Amino acid sequence: MKRLLSILLVATMMMTMLIGCADKKESSDDSSDGGGGGGSKDLTIAFSFEDLETEFWVAAHEIITETLTEEGYKVIELNCQGDANKQFEQVNDALTQEIDGIIMIPVDGDTAVTVTASANEADVPIVIFNRPPTSDDGNNITVVCDNATTAEATVDHMVEQAQAKFDETGKKLTPCILVGDLGDPNAIERKNGFYAAIEKKPDIFNDVIEVPTEWDAATALANLQSAVQANPDIDFIFSSSDFLFPTIQSVVEPLGKWQKIGDPNHIILGGLDGDATAGKLIDEGYVDGTGVQDLFYETDAALKAIVEAVENGDTQPDEVLTDPGFALTQSNLEEKRMDMWGNAVGAEE
Amino acid sequence: MRSKEDISKLLLKNIPILLFVLVFVIFGIFSPKFLSMASFSNIILNSSYVGIIGIGIMFVLLTAGIDLSVGSVMYLASASTGLLIANYHVPTVVGVLGGIAVALLVGLINAFCIIKLEILPFVTTLGTMTAGRAVGTWMTHSESVNLPKTITSLGSQKVLGIPMAIVLFLLIAVIAAVFLSKTQLGRQIYAVGNDPEEARKAGINNKKILFTIYMLCALLAGIGGIISVAQIGIVNAAFGKGEEFNAIAAAVLGGTSLAGGSGKVSGTVLGAVMIQMIQSGLVYMQVDMYIQPLISAGIIFIAVFLDSIRARYMAKAEARNIRNENLANG
Repeated sequence: MKRLLSILLVATMMMTMLIGCADKKESSDDSSDGGGGGGSKDLTIAFSFEDLETEFWVAAHEIITETLTEEGYKVIELNCQGDANKQFEQVNDALTQEIDGIIMIPVDGDTAVTVTASANEADVPIVIFNRPPTSDDGNNITVVCDNATTAEATVDHMVEQAQAKFDETGKKLTPCILVGDLGDPNAIERKNGFYAAIEKKPDIFNDVIEVPTEWDAATALANLQSAVQANPDIDFIFSSSDFLFPTIQSVVEPLGKWQKIGDPNHIILGGLDGDATAGKLIDEGYVDGTGVQDLFYETDAALKAIVEAVENGDTQPDEVLTDPGFALTQSNLEEKRMDMWGNAVGAEE
Repeated sequence: MRSKEDISKLLLKNIPILLFVLVFVIFGIFSPKFLSMASFSNIILNSSYVGIIGIGIMFVLLTAGIDLSVGSVMYLASASTGLLIANYHVPTVVGVLGGIAVALLVGLINAFCIIKLEILPFVTTLGTMTAGRAVGTWMTHSESVNLPKTITSLGSQKVLGIPMAIVLFLLIAVIAAVFLSKTQLGRQIYAVGNDPEEARKAGINNKKILFTIYMLCALLAGIGGIISVAQIGIVNAAFGKGEEFNAIAAAVLGGTSLAGGSGKVSGTVLGAVMIQMIQSGLVYMQVDMYIQPLISAGIIFIAVFLDSIRARYMAKAEARNIRNENLANG
């Protein structure tokens, strides 16, 4: 009995591993054959992504796979679950299957460079989505948000609010930034954007308090609590990602500082990403603004680029397509509210 | 002469506590606000969930096993609790119990594979770590799960002025310490960890011990997850990722041997608090963020190194005492 159980379990595990290790899913919309979208094109695009652990990645994944399938492309999905080596191996494996193009959300900038080299060698066009390669080596189309400019635009709005508060009270504000993972170029760009805005008005600010988060809510919580305890005057917080807003709320709410705009205890608050939580908090008046990566622009640019390259037979296109992003603030909320992907996706759901 | 020896023995025995106090004072010198009661309470609060899962991991390490699935169990338990309350509108208590039940289910799978199918703990828990997260992301569709006020308010609730998370942490630590030192089952865990074959010959049911510790580890991971999420306020798909290593670090820093048979709850508690204290101290001092991990790793390395020296000296001293006693008796 024990032996039988073992054999059954091992067989199940082997099957799961075979499916799981490959983490490869082929999607093609049969109904599109001969009708609907663009019809069957007998062309295959490999879509390699990091994981599906943030709302941004989930939304990007959905738009890219659905659009390609509707256009009649066969899509091979490769989920590397955050493992750079696995991503490299998966794409190399796909390259042996005569694919016609690659869209890739790299685990990091170095992986983007390595995979670009493999794609160039195999003469397959590649689009790098949202996370820039660490060097210009090789030919690829990079679609990336200008994180520094978007962060700066958001913090510019926060600085305006800070200036108004300073004019009213005459008291310098204490700014704080929740910094993302130091290995992520996007996190560094956001930090640079924050400082660029803050440094425009040095007279109204005390020294900046930096809080490391490693993109982890528990780490952010512990470190922000320490920072707030060491510097109880913090009244200006920029979170490098919107997903940390509930964590900020957990820290400042017991101190009576989770207040709406207009309240004397309101902390000037901003973020970056443009997710649904940020949208809700801006609507409610707790958050002053957030930098929005234009997901729709980025996915559209990536899809257009790969389709053009594949259909024109351009195997080594080389271009950088920059998403300028924008800041959604209380000042432009009415006009830009539905341009934010978090609000748009939320409304659709 | 005798008292001098006793003092050095006492100092040696308490090296982890001395180091803990030393690090606390050094951070306090550079940042006086660090030496406040509020800061200390904050450190314990933030180390509470790692401490709880660290105690669970310690049980497993005592038997020379390992459980890599605790991070995924934290995620599964918290996400299940959130989904049950938000989507199925069950009462909070039922939601929490549901989350704990899911955690225990993973513990049961671990125990079954390790005991019945005799698969190595490393392989088994590596599998449940991956599978657990996959099930969690499938359940939530990778979307963040917002927990209701009834759960998040637990994070700020206090009992006699002490935050609820700290009370639970201390309560669990005391129960675990009593269980290990005062109950037969607890002492048998050490025996199995020291030598499973000898333990079996002595009449100990090794399978029962292993079943108990993997279930306890999963239970504590589930509780730790819910306590953590009560403070954070939201469960996203990366929740709990890598926490297994923090928990193992806390247990090892507290003197638990990876080879099994040796370790104390008090040590694990100290280890968890120490890791958090170093992190908080560096934020208080506003040390350059690129340097922080280096300093943190350096202090932990020194602590573990001193502890290993202490263990060697203590073992030698014990051996010397036994020899002397034998000579005196002979």
